[in-house]
Amino acid sequence: MRKIVIVPRREFRVPVEAERISPDVFAPLAIEEIGKIEVWEGNRKTALSDLFEVSGDDVPAKPEETLISLSGDFSKVKRVGENMTRGRIAAEGDLGMHAGNGMSGGEIEIEGRAGDWLGREMRGGKITVLGEAGDYVGAGYRGESCGMRGGEILIEGSAGDYLGEHLCGGTITVLGNAGDFPGIANRGGVITIGGNAHLPGAEMASGTITIKGRAKVLPSYQYLETVEIDGLSLKKFFGDLVDNGKGELYAASVEDGGA
Amino acid sequence: MAEDVLCPFCGCLCDDIKVEVENDQIVGVKRACKLGSSKIRGHERTKAPMVRKDEELVETSYEEAYDRAAKILKDAKRPLLYGWCSTVCETHKKGILLAEEVGGVIDSTATVCHGPSIIGIEEKGLAGSTLGQIKNRADLIVFWGANPAEAHPRHTLRYSSNSTGMFTPDGRKGRKVIVVDVRETRTAKNADKFLLIKPGTDYEVISALRMIVAGKGEIVPEKVAGVAKSDLEEAAEMMKAARFGAILFGLGMTHSRGRYKNVDNALSLVADLNGFTKFVVMAMRGHYNVAGFGQVCAWETGFPMSVDFSRGAPYFNPGETAACDLLAKREADAMMVVAADPVSNFPRATVEGMAEIPVIQIDPFPNPTTLLADVVIPSAVCGVEAEGTAYRMDGLSLRMKKVVDSPYPTDEAIIQNILDRVRRLGDDN
Amino acid sequence: MIIKGGFVCDPKNGILGEEMDICIECGKIVEKSVGGDVIDARGMLVLPGGVDAHAHIAGAKVNSGRIMRPEDGRRGIEPRTKLLRPSTGYTVPNCYAMGYRYARLGYTTAFEAATPILESRHTHEELEEIPIVDKGALTLFGNNWEVLECVRDGDLEKLAAFVAWGLRASRGYGVKVVNPGGGEAWGFGGNVKGIDDPVPNFGVTPREIIRYLMRANEILGLPHSVHLHTNNLGKPGNYETTLETLKAVEDITASRDRQVLHVTHMQFSAYGGTGWRDFESKAPEIAEYFNHHDQFTMDMGQLIFGSATTMTADAPLEYGNARLLHAKWSNHDIELEESSGVVPLVYGRKMPINAIQWAIGLELALLTKNPWQVIMTTDHPNGGPFVNYPEVVTLLMSRVKREEELKSLHELASKRSSLPSIEREMDWNDIAIVTRAAPARILGLSEKGHLGVGADGDVTIFDINPADVDPSKDHRKVKEALAKARYTIKAGEVVVRDGDITAVPQGRTYWVDASVPEDQAEKVRADLVEKFAKYYSIQMSNYMVQDAYVTHPRVVKAGVI
Repeated sequence: MRKIVIVPRREFRVPVEAERISPDVFAPLAIEEIGKIEVWEGNRKTALSDLFEVSGDDVPAKPEETLISLSGDFSKVKRVGENMTRGRIAAEGDLGMHAGNGMSGGEIEIEGRAGDWLGREMRGGKITVLGEAGDYVGAGYRGESCGMRGGEILIEGSAGDYLGEHLCGGTITVLGNAGDFPGIANRGGVITIGGNAHLPGAEMASGTITIKGRAKVLPSYQYLETVEIDGLSLKKFFGDLVDNGKGELYAASVEDGGA
Repeated sequence: MAEDVLCPFCGCLCDDIKVEVENDQIVGVKRACKLGSSKIRGHERTKAPMVRKDEELVETSYEEAYDRAAKILKDAKRPLLYGWCSTVCETHKKGILLAEEVGGVIDSTATVCHGPSIIGIEEKGLAGSTLGQIKNRADLIVFWGANPAEAHPRHTLRYSSNSTGMFTPDGRKGRKVIVVDVRETRTAKNADKFLLIKPGTDYEVISALRMIVAGKGEIVPEKVAGVAKSDLEEAAEMMKAARFGAILFGLGMTHSRGRYKNVDNALSLVADLNGFTKFVVMAMRGHYNVAGFGQVCAWETGFPMSVDFSRGAPYFNPGETAACDLLAKREADAMMVVAADPVSNFPRATVEGMAEIPVIQIDPFPNPTTLLADVVIPSAVCGVEAEGTAYRMDGLSLRMKKVVDSPYPTDEAIIQNILDRVRRLGDDN
Repeated sequence: MIIKGGFVCDPKNGILGEEMDICIECGKIVEKSVGGDVIDARGMLVLPGGVDAHAHIAGAKVNSGRIMRPEDGRRGIEPRTKLLRPSTGYTVPNCYAMGYRYARLGYTTAFEAATPILESRHTHEELEEIPIVDKGALTLFGNNWEVLECVRDGDLEKLAAFVAWGLRASRGYGVKVVNPGGGEAWGFGGNVKGIDDPVPNFGVTPREIIRYLMRANEILGLPHSVHLHTNNLGKPGNYETTLETLKAVEDITASRDRQVLHVTHMQFSAYGGTGWRDFESKAPEIAEYFNHHDQFTMDMGQLIFGSATTMTADAPLEYGNARLLHAKWSNHDIELEESSGVVPLVYGRKMPINAIQWAIGLELALLTKNPWQVIMTTDHPNGGPFVNYPEVVTLLMSRVKREEELKSLHELASKRSSLPSIEREMDWNDIAIVTRAAPARILGLSEKGHLGVGADGDVTIFDINPADVDPSKDHRKVKEALAKARYTIKAGEVVVRDGDITAVPQGRTYWVDASVPEDQAEKVRADLVEKFAKYYSIQMSNYMVQDAYVTHPRVVKAGVI
């Protein structure tokens, strides 16, 4: 596997937009050419190598054999891995907003924290976050009726609000807690949350949401029965009935809504 | 005496104000509420442009202030141009052009008031009407998280619960009023039905109402967010029984937990209710022309707020490109504040973000933002000293009048001057 | 300026594809040029600037569409340049994109199809921001309380005076009537079911509203006729309502040399069937009627597959659409005047209804023999965005193209319409009529849509040689050429060269100032004083659009004195 290492030359105050940091773009290019790739620091257009040190194997390889290693603080670097189809991106620390926007294949691994809109409108591939993730994991763009349509997102820490908003496919797994409204307007995606969540599955049309911790469940969900899944006793609900939804919602324990 | 003057205070944009003028001074204001009257009469003004030198704001010429402002904006990599709620649309157009020119982010005060409402509208659309439609037809008014008795004093009499019209000759007597809020406000005290809900539970309450309206009430628990199901059933019944209902919502809905999703769900409730009767919904917008900025920004850029021009094309994504996002995440490296007072209204972390960067203020009046500003440019008061367009909370545009002359330049002229200088700086590069 | 040696189609002046020179001085077509630019148009098609007589391009509902559809705004983004402001959007572009895109297609005039008087200030604010093209707006009258009361009282003279006042108040160009009576009924969530269904609380029927407004229109001698969006629009079986409406006004005659009624986006009003299951085209019946009644005109309202944003003053229709499609829904009622709605949707090739709708628009244009009676529109952005006009032109010019398209559509498009059997292919003169000469004539714009001496210097030059290209076979070439004008000339100025904008002049805004007898005007004024005192939510003195909002007016005089 060809490895290319990118290290920020300084701390960024103004965010950097670098949607061309992607194995598909890097694959056919030598290191020097990669350094010339256009990135934006705020309203200033510049070259990748002006903001980052770029090093690694110089010989072009296929995208699927390309690994981009992000070393240092990338928390203000946005849109890394946008529309990628193959290959790997590994961030040793945090990675900024919109990582993996619209990706359809390949892998992104983030050891630190992922910014908001991780895997926005993702279609395939896999994203793994060892730390926490921000809001709108796997969501869509404002006003769209579909967010993520396929692929897999795994967050080992906790995630923010609106996880999987308008999910139209794929799976999202959070080992920690999720914020408000995970799986809102879900249309067929699968969400599993290891911890707690607030008002999961609002306006869910179809799909499955499992909360292994405690959940505040909407009054528009119908309780069906308690089921045993993977050794866990879960309450099964059906909804969201405000929109005649046919989604399945499972929760280990339910916060009392009436108190 | 100037007749039918528009009030430059709240989103009611009352247009029936009488202003008495003697020797180019305002000596009397009639028909306006206290809030409007005091705005029209005016108060302490910023007398001259100021720039910060050795930590102190010192008076200077307009020319120098424009130069300094242009330099700050031109040097910035992510300038934020914020405010716009208390100025006219002609200023907005110029401001958007300036934002394009400097590759900045432009955002309005909606970001701290009804921005979530707009995001909710992006999810569901808005079933609305002009205020006169409510005045003439509504026999049920629902104030949700809104307290017009304090915030929009003439709203009820001119447009809503206490107004009279073609099909509403009996005014308040012929209407029912429901109030939903987290405390018993003055508006709530005058309601026919008051639902006291726990803070941050709007979404659940709306979902429960939607279920009951749709005839699926048996699934709803006996208590939702502290409200007995029977109370919700009664409210739902009142809504369905109305001939024309209106939900008028305020910051209580948009700024409690659930945010834009609360609005989203309320819009769906209204859409559902239209299957049974006629219903409309409206945001009770705060400042008199915050709605106007949304309109102008939409037709100029395609988007109603939070527009990022850093790459030359509009990019819109509140949560990323809103003023609070830029400041709280310490992204902005310069800020221009026009006709607003973010220091009084922003969360603390956001104000701290302002303190670190150069700030330009354009405003007729000194306010807490002035204390943080590096360049202060006083302007004429729109609607009193300058004319121009404003949009009422229902999206109706009206022309504001000029009733007295002003020694100060208009906001529009100030921005044009800065724009000219920015262009010259660009030519020099 | 002289445009030399092009293949010129100027059907109004009887020039049907001749090689000739066109001269422009001071923004107008003249006999002889005195100098200036020379454009070599040899081997190219030269037409008058395009005229769009019906599109939703400015005002509250267009902006509602933008605000509720950021997902549309993100499409079609072009950054700013030294000359141009940024462009955004596909179905609901920002103002700048509208002007640039019209100009690139060779269009130099576009009319907003519906503005309520009360919100016309907003409409003009947006029209002012649309660069390059000349424009105007049609004012809504079909649900206005003053209109309904004049009709109820049988006071035609007062109605005419009110129409004149409304046009002036809105700085409007003509009388638009949308679902007459239905918009008022929608004030309480209702609708009217046909032209003889009385409007609640007013006791008048749509038939009466239409007839009265048409007669008032002709009393005033307005340049344009009444512009009608029929009752029951968008519903299966509505062709009967449409024919009934036309028959109801056959006796009314035009006061000027033009149609007496323009029925707009006819595609949406030519439906058969008792419901969506047996939905079918009744375009042949409508076209047949038009073939025997040359006092009426229509525009296509052609459907384009893909994303659309429907927006209309027909609010109950939009509520129905939104519920049926589970789509976003915006509604906006305007006190005392109108209602309106906005619903985004996607037209699918494999959706039976959409496929049939697509066929209906084309049937109407091809089966109506006289091209002066059917003009090309997509009812932007209801049938689809106007940027697809080149696609529509190729469909009109090429049976091969239509057959290719039909293959990719749901089979019901072929079974429930007569389109597969239609052989007619329009030629360049027909196209010049349906996109230029006829819309100008229908609107009553004597300076537009032709290249005779005295016409506006609005010219389009397409890089296509009618001597070499057979539009029937080479439809791809036609579409490509039409999408990017080689030159667009607006009032004598080159605004597009090779598909790129080269200049951004401010166009003019047409509005009609119609005079009426003072006693009638006084009667209207008295009514309005009362309406403002009791019912409107603003003061009468703040109502009328101020001159500040129409900075480049072109005032057309009409009226009874």
